[in-house]
Amino acid sequence: MGWYHLSLLFLVITACIFQQFTPTFQSLCDAGILLVPLVFLCSAVTVGAGPMLLLAFTAGFLWDAQHVITPLPAALLGNPEVYDNPGGDVKFGYSIVLYALMGFFMQGLQPLFREGKWHVSALLAGIAVFLYLSAEYLCVTFVRGDLILTHSLFLKISFTALLTMLLCPMVFWVLYRLAGLFHHTISYEGLARERNTAH
Amino acid sequence: MKPLNFIALVLFICGVTWVVTLSERSVRRIQQTYYATITPFLKGGSSIESQARNFLEEIEHSKDLENQLRAIEEEYIKLRSIEGRLRELETENAELRRALDFKEKSRLNVIAARVIKRQPATWWETAIIDKGQRDSIGAGVPVIAPGGLAGKVDIASEDTCSMILLTDERCQVSVQVAGTPEVGILHGTRGRYGEEPRLILRHLSREAAILPGMKVITTGKGGLFPSNLLIGTVKEYTPGPVEGVALVQPSVNFDELGVVFIIAQKNEPEG
Repeated sequence: MGWYHLSLLFLVITACIFQQFTPTFQSLCDAGILLVPLVFLCSAVTVGAGPMLLLAFTAGFLWDAQHVITPLPAALLGNPEVYDNPGGDVKFGYSIVLYALMGFFMQGLQPLFREGKWHVSALLAGIAVFLYLSAEYLCVTFVRGDLILTHSLFLKISFTALLTMLLCPMVFWVLYRLAGLFHHTISYEGLARERNTAH
Repeated sequence: MKPLNFIALVLFICGVTWVVTLSERSVRRIQQTYYATITPFLKGGSSIESQARNFLEEIEHSKDLENQLRAIEEEYIKLRSIEGRLRELETENAELRRALDFKEKSRLNVIAARVIKRQPATWWETAIIDKGQRDSIGAGVPVIAPGGLAGKVDIASEDTCSMILLTDERCQVSVQVAGTPEVGILHGTRGRYGEEPRLILRHLSREAAILPGMKVITTGKGGLFPSNLLIGTVKEYTPGPVEGVALVQPSVNFDELGVVFIIAQKNEPEG
């Protein structure tokens, strides 16, 4: 664990604060920009599995602290004769698992990223956001019941993934700057091993 | 798998297990701490946002008058600028007067608060308001806005509150269609985006005599919300084999939620 990894943690927390001020676009089916997942996904491709899991834990924990609606204490749920089905919501912590899965997904194409093909990773980040949102929606649906799939839902997820993906180059630029600042080498051990074997 | 990665994975699984098994009380405490931590950023950011909005409005205003202003002397430009600022103050004054008038007319003991942030959540409809435990506000307290019921407080930290909007699926309200004996449970919708918010009213009679345009009000039953608060108007009623379902258009404009009122004390007996 080096300064670079700590700077990524700081970056995730900063993204969490900036996330508060990201707009949603009503004309694009209420799509928005998901800064926290974006920073996590881009960071995940630049580090090993261990630091990625730490980032997934931090990002998922903060994400759920912000979003998950925890059931109110029983005394504040109202008369059960009237409110007979107060309804549940996704469990606090579910995002940590989703983030880790997306992190592993991103690391699948790490060799290409390490070769400098960051645009493939950027594209993958868009796909990962799409999958993340779909999985999140399915989790919400699973808990609340009634599978509702609409055209606007698909558009909302797609536009959000697209808008988020458009910011990928900026995040990668920041990551390269941080890697340079803290003398962190973004290299793939597998490639080095292959080259050594060839020699 | 490398030993270090294996250890990291084991630690990660332990961490996830710990988080998932946290009690609801602990989670609420974590969320309270989270909101208390981000409050300074939210308040600061909200203030910068409103300053920027005012600045842009001023620029827009200036652009409209650009051609005329070219021909006018410097003194006149100054006066226009002052007038612009006065107009802004006048609008703000009118808004506050309306809020004050609403507060005076309200039968309930309410605390005025300002929405400082609509939460940028994907599937949840929440907002942050600038009053909290310091103003004796706790979880579950109803929030109203000019127009009717707006939601309820979810998590109260010291200076701010997170409220669940009426448009969220998790905010359930016992309501009645005014002028009919029809009562049901109303909540927000899921899967409708980029259009005007709609609420779903369930548990109505199969063949209820409900027509579009009828008003929907709270019943006061269940102990969560006071009675006779306006919710909205019926847009559509669909009879079903077991129960009828109505789509309701909320009376509160959730896109322009500025000032809200938190019901500090319920003055009416609950059903």
